[in-house]
Amino acid sequence: MSLSVKDRGQAVATHRYILVNLMETLARWVPTTPEMEAKLLFGSHVWDLAQHADALGKRTHELRLPLQHSLAPAPEYVRLLDEVAGIEDTRKRIAAFYDVVVPALDARYRGYLAATDPLMDAPTVRILDRILADDARMIRESQELRSSLPELQDGEDGWASALTRREAGLRNLVAVANAEAAQQAS
Amino acid sequence: MTATVTGTFEYRGIQLRSDPAREPCFRVVHQHYEVYMPTPEAPTDPTGQETLHSMFNSEVLSLEIAAQNLADFPDAPWELRLHFARQCWDEVRHGRMCLERLVARGGRKGGFPIINHEWNVVCAFPSLPARLAVLNRTFEAGSLEAFASLRTFFTHLGDDRTLEVIETILADEVEHTRFGNHWLQRLVKGNPRDALRIAEAMAFVKRAATMLATQPGELVIDGTDMAAMAQHDIPVLPQQRADAGFTEAEIAELMRRDPAPSATRREG
Repeated sequence: MSLSVKDRGQAVATHRYILVNLMETLARWVPTTPEMEAKLLFGSHVWDLAQHADALGKRTHELRLPLQHSLAPAPEYVRLLDEVAGIEDTRKRIAAFYDVVVPALDARYRGYLAATDPLMDAPTVRILDRILADDARMIRESQELRSSLPELQDGEDGWASALTRREAGLRNLVAVANAEAAQQAS
Repeated sequence: MTATVTGTFEYRGIQLRSDPAREPCFRVVHQHYEVYMPTPEAPTDPTGQETLHSMFNSEVLSLEIAAQNLADFPDAPWELRLHFARQCWDEVRHGRMCLERLVARGGRKGGFPIINHEWNVVCAFPSLPARLAVLNRTFEAGSLEAFASLRTFFTHLGDDRTLEVIETILADEVEHTRFGNHWLQRLVKGNPRDALRIAEAMAFVKRAATMLATQPGELVIDGTDMAAMAQHDIPVLPQQRADAGFTEAEIAELMRRDPAPSATRREG
């Protein structure tokens, strides 16, 4: 059985929360990042994330939730987002965002696309397809920046890999779904 | 909608937001005479590099202010936040265009001192309507007219590519001013006390403009006290103001205060 309307609404609202949070993180990094090229990279992607959040926020209304509705994700994921937002070193900021958080979200979008019905949930599918294309461009732009300015490459100290493993350890980001599953199990 | 403003410093008796982060290649100054390069005989750098460098930093400051507004006011209406996010992208594009022209004209990032007063002043306000009134409705609106003199300058240099850049930036600045005007009206309608915050902000800007300007005796070139020289007034361009959402009454008031004769006006 594919996802219900309720499941879809909760997933979409949770991803909207995450994207607004990430938009705010990039926005905070813009004035606090000294390296001009990194500052401009973050600044341009603020708009990408805002558009993604907006598209998902319109979709929540179509899924019987309020317009631009957000649901906080699982607390462990909120903590991870807070930790990423608190990074001060520019190389680590770039690595955390473009090598860990965005690719991991893309994997979760693909998981959602595999689970949902492509006809019944076609509007969400279209939105996620567009987000995936934009994310690929954002990642590519971050790689091009680091190729042209190698001083922005993060060192190979395993830090990003550890963050990736931690993110992957969180099974479901939808907090309400986790709460319901726990209630059913008890 | 109010934010907690952290990281401030006092300069000539006024409280300003601390400078945004810059690379070591930039020399950040706080007094206008420290960025003053030209002489009374050649009041503008003839190569255009200084102008483009200043435009570049100005665009980056606008990016930083729009981004800080997103960070400082998470409860602002979503449609307004979308405008700020879009403005971030626009200002990035403007910054890159100016930098590309700077390099094409033989300049480099950090080649001239920079001054961050726009950020220092706007981000000192804890109120979002105050920031909109000062950045979008005052500074960006003022740039609509300032671009006319930039156009004349680069026409004189025969730099067609920079003229294209100026036209592109100008179109976006009209939109930034327009959304500032639109949202100020909506916010004040929803909370009339915001009108008081805006009035306070404008009084602060007036005071800051006086305190941050070059003071008599601070800059003397070839025996000329630059602060004592006649100020260059930029004429108000009514059609551009109308495009940017100013009402007829507001434009009439600006024209009444504008000392420039109508013959000097040339609409973009």
